[in-house]
Amino acid sequence: MEKNNLRIGLVNWLILLAAAAVTFVVARYVKSASGLVAGILLAVGFLVALVAFFQMRLEERERLEKLEFDELNRQKGSTNLFSTDEADTFAARQSREMFEKYFVRVFAVLLCAGTGFGTWWLWSYLGTAVLDVSEERSTIAMTTTGLFGLILFLIGKYTSGLARLDDQRLLRPCGSYMLFGAYVSFLVAAALALNLIGYPRYDLDLARVLLVLLGLVSAETLLTLVAEIYRPRVKGKVARILYDSRLVGIVGQPESLFRTAGQALDYQFGFKVSETWFYQTVREKIGQWAAIWVLVLIASTSVVFIEPGEQAVLERFGARTGGLLEPGVHFKAPWPVDDVYRFKTREVQTLNVGFVPKDDDHGKTILWNVAHYKEEFNLLVASRESGTTNVTGGVSVPVSLLTVSIPVQYQIRDVDKFAYAYANSGEMLEKVATREVIRYLVGVDLNEVMSTGREEAAKNLLSTIQKRSDELGLGVEILFVGLQDIHPPTKVAEAYQGVIGARQEVEARVLIAKGYAIRTVLMAEAEAQQKINDAEAFAAQRVTGAAATAAKFTNQIQAFNASPSVYPMRAYLQTFAKAIGPARKYIVTTTNSSEVFQINLEDKIREDLGDVYIPATRDEQRAQQLKQQQQPQMPKAP
Amino acid sequence: MNKNRLALTVGLLLIVLFALMLFTFQVRQTEVALVTTFGKPSRTETEPGLKWKLPWPIQRVLKFDNRVQNFEGKFEETQTRDGYNLLISVYAGWKIKEPTTFRNAFADGATARATQTFEERLRSEKNAVVGRHPFSHFVSTDPKEMKFAEIEKEIEEAVKKSLLDSYGVEISFLGIKRLGLPESVTQKVLERMKEERQRFVAKLQAEGLSEAQKIGSGADLERTKLLTAAEAKASAIRGQAESDAAKYLEVFEKNPELALLLQKLSALEASLKDRSTLIFDTRTPPFDLLEGSKVKTSPATPK
Repeated sequence: MEKNNLRIGLVNWLILLAAAAVTFVVARYVKSASGLVAGILLAVGFLVALVAFFQMRLEERERLEKLEFDELNRQKGSTNLFSTDEADTFAARQSREMFEKYFVRVFAVLLCAGTGFGTWWLWSYLGTAVLDVSEERSTIAMTTTGLFGLILFLIGKYTSGLARLDDQRLLRPCGSYMLFGAYVSFLVAAALALNLIGYPRYDLDLARVLLVLLGLVSAETLLTLVAEIYRPRVKGKVARILYDSRLVGIVGQPESLFRTAGQALDYQFGFKVSETWFYQTVREKIGQWAAIWVLVLIASTSVVFIEPGEQAVLERFGARTGGLLEPGVHFKAPWPVDDVYRFKTREVQTLNVGFVPKDDDHGKTILWNVAHYKEEFNLLVASRESGTTNVTGGVSVPVSLLTVSIPVQYQIRDVDKFAYAYANSGEMLEKVATREVIRYLVGVDLNEVMSTGREEAAKNLLSTIQKRSDELGLGVEILFVGLQDIHPPTKVAEAYQGVIGARQEVEARVLIAKGYAIRTVLMAEAEAQQKINDAEAFAAQRVTGAAATAAKFTNQIQAFNASPSVYPMRAYLQTFAKAIGPARKYIVTTTNSSEVFQINLEDKIREDLGDVYIPATRDEQRAQQLKQQQQPQMPKAP
Repeated sequence: MNKNRLALTVGLLLIVLFALMLFTFQVRQTEVALVTTFGKPSRTETEPGLKWKLPWPIQRVLKFDNRVQNFEGKFEETQTRDGYNLLISVYAGWKIKEPTTFRNAFADGATARATQTFEERLRSEKNAVVGRHPFSHFVSTDPKEMKFAEIEKEIEEAVKKSLLDSYGVEISFLGIKRLGLPESVTQKVLERMKEERQRFVAKLQAEGLSEAQKIGSGADLERTKLLTAAEAKASAIRGQAESDAAKYLEVFEKNPELALLLQKLSALEASLKDRSTLIFDTRTPPFDLLEGSKVKTSPATPK
């Protein structure tokens, strides 16, 4: 039986060595992070199994030695009982004790340090290294790790069972690591399978989980070492194996967890909970339930729900089969036989030509002289103005620059073409659309495309992009091509805005001139009319006046005839009195004709204080009125 | 016993599954597979579906995407025949036509390496083609001058030949993705565009001034015409009035002396309306009354 155990121990470390080496090589081959960590974990298992194997051999030697010693004692009787030195007699036992005392402890310390350092180094390595799992090689890696997982599982199960039944404590860590390695291998195979169906990120996630486990193993070994220092040394009590990890045991043999949990429940409740019907059922059936759950999970891949707005294609073993799957429930063979690929055929998708939009550009005013996108490209556009000869004798570039932002909206029209003709149909459409925009702009005049040709340009571009997409079989329908922004680059935008300002200035000047013209002409018309009116007034006055004067003269003749001697003087005096009324008058009353008078007739240019009018008081006014009344009235002129 | 049977069944199932995975492989609709036996290409699977193979390491399966792949070259500066520096980038659609050649050319068919190699080939051919054409073949408003599509075709043909033979790759199509000018030239073009605009502004302003002046002078002309016409008409009216008034002068001939006296008196009255200073002596009637003489009773005719 012991020989058998030794053989099992040998097989264990050999298989773990092979598994570790193969997993490591395969992981490097497919560049799998989880495979790499799994290889390290299996290598730790190999070292543990190897040490356990040597310890088993020492224990076996000790057992044989004891048998020999007992046999010898029976043959010799009790006469020589104290004649042999114990150290010489139990050399194998001493070897085993020395091994346990020094080698195992040193190994445990190294294991703790190695796994701790390995965890730290691998964690930082995974953070920086580019480990992109190769899809093409995943199948091989998955098969290999799965196969080794199966072998580890079967032999690990056998070893664990043997360890439990025969109470072979040294086989327990081997069995635990074998089963632990088996589950790790299955998980790596699963991660590679997920990579095959398009979920590569689980590989790295699994690698991190496994690294955490490796770190926990290191921490647990450290705790075991500390506990070993303070452990009470009771004679006859077998010490715990330092490199035997409880964590690995629990993960490798979950049923041991049930045992531990059962014991805890028994202790807490005060009766044997672990012997109840419910507990026993759960313990027995949990494996089957898990298997059923996996089957249900696989069966669930037979049902596909296609969302509204989507269409899907079905592939059987990779070959396109059947028609398009429309929105609703559909049944198919489970993965990996059938696979469904969905496409949002009703969704309007947009690609941008000539600009890279900002993440958030809502509610802003769009101006030519302010860049309004994250990135704007200066596109070449033809210029009708022919190139002018420059100083070097060459001809300057007959080209201008333009900034455009053209959103192109499209829908998937033919799913088969869209999915199977191009590796990335959306990206190809973007290239095709950009090419058509570039091609259009280099053949049109800048000013035309910015003004009158804008609408035509949009129509033209829609038509050419659609035509080219159809020629290339992209399977899309172009819904809209918008020339939402088409203007000169921001650096020259102000010069263009200056033109608008100049136009306004010109308009203003013309309007001012027109206003002047209207005013001038209207005023001239009025002035002309006034002249005519004045002339007509003059004419009316002249003719009517002449008529009136003639009529008056006729009457005056009659008056004159009536009194020829008085009438002229009367007329004279009446006119004289009326005419000289407001005039300044000097009447020289002297009769001496040789007398010379000097009269200052000049006017005062400015008034002085003496000219200030001082209003009379009320008494003075009354006195003046009385005086005037008393003075004799001047006779009226005849 | 039952438990062991179950474990055995599960184990067997898993072994069968793994064996199947070792002996089969899938070729997707979008793929073409190359099967190698001991490293030597033995067959190519172009049809999708489940295929048989011997397990690794005897046979290996290399899968390639058989769809048209996107390629976009660098935006690169080159020179046209007439000496213009031009930035140009091209895009292309390519697909693996001969998987064996492709696999031999690029270790395990690495697409990234293939793309890099295309870039090198394409740059060379593209620059050669661009160098054969003047700038006006790329940018022109004259359709006869423009050779955009022809240039694309030339580059495609040049690249196509070399890629199929050497790398087992077919170029499905090729196009110019972007055209541009180097930064220094771009600045000059922008300056020229600014100058053009400023010239246009000056022209507009001159036109505006000219127009305004025309309108103003036209108005002045109109004013002069209107006033002159009005003046002429007014003169005519006045002349007619004088003529009409003259008819009434005949009546004065009945007593010319009286008429003249009355006219003089009217003139006297009119001439003394403004400020005037008069110096009289006492001989002037009616100031002769101041001489104290007797008032004449005989009629006197003022002279």
